[in-house]
Amino acid sequence: MWSRDIAGLRLTFHLAGINNQNFIMRDEQTGTYWQQISGKAISGPLTGRQLTPIHSDELTFATWKSEEPQGSVLRDVSRYAANYAPKDWDVRMRRAPTVIDFREHGLKARDLMLGIQAFGASRAFPYEQVIREKLVKDRVGAEPVLLAVGPDGQSVRAFHDRIPGVNGAPDFYRRPDGVLMDAATGSEWNFRGCAVSGKAKGVCLEPVEMLKDYWFDWRNYNPSTTIYGTK
Amino acid sequence: MTRRQTILLLLACLTVSLICVVYPIYVIRPFRAQGARELAMALLVMRWRTVATVLSGIAALAALALYWRAQPRRWPRALAAAGAVFVCLLGVLARVNIYELMFHPDDRPSFAPALQAKLDKDEKVIAVKIGDAARAYPIRNISYHHVMNDVLGQVGVVATY
Repeated sequence: MWSRDIAGLRLTFHLAGINNQNFIMRDEQTGTYWQQISGKAISGPLTGRQLTPIHSDELTFATWKSEEPQGSVLRDVSRYAANYAPKDWDVRMRRAPTVIDFREHGLKARDLMLGIQAFGASRAFPYEQVIREKLVKDRVGAEPVLLAVGPDGQSVRAFHDRIPGVNGAPDFYRRPDGVLMDAATGSEWNFRGCAVSGKAKGVCLEPVEMLKDYWFDWRNYNPSTTIYGTK
Repeated sequence: MTRRQTILLLLACLTVSLICVVYPIYVIRPFRAQGARELAMALLVMRWRTVATVLSGIAALAALALYWRAQPRRWPRALAAAGAVFVCLLGVLARVNIYELMFHPDDRPSFAPALQAKLDKDEKVIAVKIGDAARAYPIRNISYHHVMNDVLGQVGVVATY
């Protein structure tokens, strides 16, 4: 998710091509071509410019609706709705061939990864492993991060593993009933990363941008990525 | 300009227009690996092909007019005319965005309140919130359209998938 506002313009993007199975967009205003995954201008008058990322989450509809009952949902275009993919598109696409492959760490080209590019480093977390572990405490670069699986067992969010205003490691854990707790303040945290009870009540963790992507695509644009669960 | 020169001009126009249309399709096609250099060249061609094909079309029609006057025989004239028409046709094709023919853009997005939206509870959405404005883009939808230009709060955003 990117901001369309750059260089004093509000750009309108169009699908314009493909680069090793990651698509290219063209903006109407300047005719510049942009890479979807990186938000970087790769050809045209704005070459070298970078779109500003907008934080987004990949959630189940039920989780999102419970958090944002006043929100709005993009409607289908009825003319084309018959062509839309089934709801498990990313899983079905795992059977599709790829044109590049990086046979590293025992990963297959279309293994689903949760990629974080932050704190001067890139790290990828195998999606299925995160879902199984439900709570992952790790580091990206030198910074501690927390990946939490939501109550639906499918949605995942990432946070900086530090409570604002509290020194030291919070030591998050899951109670047997699945509620996220921290040992440092004894607070209960919801899936949005906000404390709902305890000493930290009202405090929210800093979200970390995370992208669900296929291994081949993540690795192609993050050549120095490290992988969670490997040495 | 001699007859031979007008034919050469017509062939040059045909070559330029063919390159403008065919080369980007050849390089930027699905299920083929794209090298950095060829991709840069294909995008360069795509950026300039509107101008290039218009100029080619004009030059081809001019060459045809000159050839027509100098060549009294019917068949060579018809062949030259077909060539010039083909150059013009390539100029039209160069304006077609094949990717948007395959995956139609949603130029006029509309939105339903969360409580009225009829989605399965486990259907995945891309969720974004700016200020008090919260939006969900069902993946089923944007994995088809791929690009969704939107405004949320006062901020222009593009959801991609």
